[in-house]
Amino acid sequence: MAKILVVDDEEHIRLLYSEELTEAGYEVITATDGYRLIERIDKEKPDLVILDIKMVGYNGLDLLQEIRNKFYNLPVVLCTAYDAFKEDIKSIAADSYVIKSFDLTELKKKIAMALEASIPSS
Amino acid sequence: MFEHEVNPENIKKAAFVVAIPSYNEADTIAFPVQQADKGIQSFFGNMRSVIINCDNNSNDGTKEIFLGIRTGTPKIYISTEPGIKGKGNNFRNLFKKVVDLDAKGVVVVDADLKSITPKWIKHLGEPLFQDFGFVAPLYVRHKYDGTITNSIAYPLIRSLYGRRVRQPIGGDFGFCGELAQTYLQSDTWSDAVANFGIDIWMTTLAMNENIPICQAFMGRPKIHRAKDPGSDLGPMFRQVVGTIFSMMTKFYPLWSKAKWSKPTAIFGFGLGETEMPPPVEVNEEVLSQKFHEGFNSYGHIWERVLQRETVNKLQEIREMDPEQFDFPTPLWLNVLVDFAVAYKDKLWRLDELLDSLIPLYLSKTLSYVKKTERMSIRESEEFIEEECTQFEASKGLLIRRWNKKTGA
Repeated sequence: MAKILVVDDEEHIRLLYSEELTEAGYEVITATDGYRLIERIDKEKPDLVILDIKMVGYNGLDLLQEIRNKFYNLPVVLCTAYDAFKEDIKSIAADSYVIKSFDLTELKKKIAMALEASIPSS
Repeated sequence: MFEHEVNPENIKKAAFVVAIPSYNEADTIAFPVQQADKGIQSFFGNMRSVIINCDNNSNDGTKEIFLGIRTGTPKIYISTEPGIKGKGNNFRNLFKKVVDLDAKGVVVVDADLKSITPKWIKHLGEPLFQDFGFVAPLYVRHKYDGTITNSIAYPLIRSLYGRRVRQPIGGDFGFCGELAQTYLQSDTWSDAVANFGIDIWMTTLAMNENIPICQAFMGRPKIHRAKDPGSDLGPMFRQVVGTIFSMMTKFYPLWSKAKWSKPTAIFGFGLGETEMPPPVEVNEEVLSQKFHEGFNSYGHIWERVLQRETVNKLQEIREMDPEQFDFPTPLWLNVLVDFAVAYKDKLWRLDELLDSLIPLYLSKTLSYVKKTERMSIRESEEFIEEECTQFEASKGLLIRRWNKKTGA
């Protein structure tokens, strides 16, 4: 069972994602913000991170940079209410992104793709 | 007088190298050398560094200009033998020198760059000392600039090998010293690689060696010597696309297992406001004309190497109203798959086969220009990303065709 870390400062989003993704067969853990996120990832070893871009006191794109530098191949799906973030070049370090919605069909599709993505070793 | 190497300060070891390949760049090389020197002094001042000009024995005084520039960093000039040309051949000399010098990090920048700043050296070089082995550039490019990259190199390399490198033939990049040894030992060297195929070859090998790759954001567009728009596209196209196709044969066991794609880390922020690229003019009439001429010049090759449905579809878009012209992504994908298979199976003389792809590539470019006409750079990037996802989703089709007997 793949373990997913949901990082979002909105409680209802964390609850929604937890319920729906658990039902879809994933193990879900959550974080309310970016505080000690790298340590948390190091400890919990999630298979994928869903990362909110705008959180109080934290910029998800900066967190994405930190994650990518430390965990080269860890899949990260950006989640946001606004698509203006794509103007920021840092966003291309994410595996994919979704616009927040109560219908998680797109998110589940992106999660499946990111988890399936594989690069064989030579 | 020919000199294979000029090393005025008799440098034997260096941790960091900035290399500038050239052929007859006497009028442009001074600027990138000066910027490289500033970059080294500002950001790698604590390392033993050297600037190397790897040249094709230019006859316009490139060597003298290079050696005459006052720099704080020592310089070495190396050259291929008289009569030996090609960017790749310059790189081969460079790889040997990097191994001799026991360098840990190497940054390469073009000799005709007009927009390079010292920070380019920092951004391409620093990741090499932070666990990354290959650094590709990330420029803001005009949506109509780099169409071989946008239509062929980026989507193909990404969907084949599963790593997203937006500018796999950017020309400016960084690589670690160990990779120089890998490049020297590779059995995939070819005439195409010895020329313009070198960039895509280096990127592809780095991916297949599982070298950690990142992309360095340069903050500015790449501005270099304007190319003569009337110049022959053929050799460069053949060398780049031919290298992609021939590497596909070699690395089939790897790419056939890669699924979807993964992003890379991004380096190089804090450059202030991003500078926008200058506009690129496209002559749509010429693109359309070349496509239509292609039916007369290469129709017999297309009939031989493309699937029947693909040929029919090309006939269909040939009849389209020029204003509504559209080369659908699935059709383009089918064309590339069939050409890659034809190249592997040698269904036609390879140079001519690649030449016959050019009118189709130009018509795909025309279609892209029309579709993105009213799009911003960011929107056109999203359009390309969407095309890449279609390429990735069709990997199974490629594998099936690749393994099907073609009766070569």
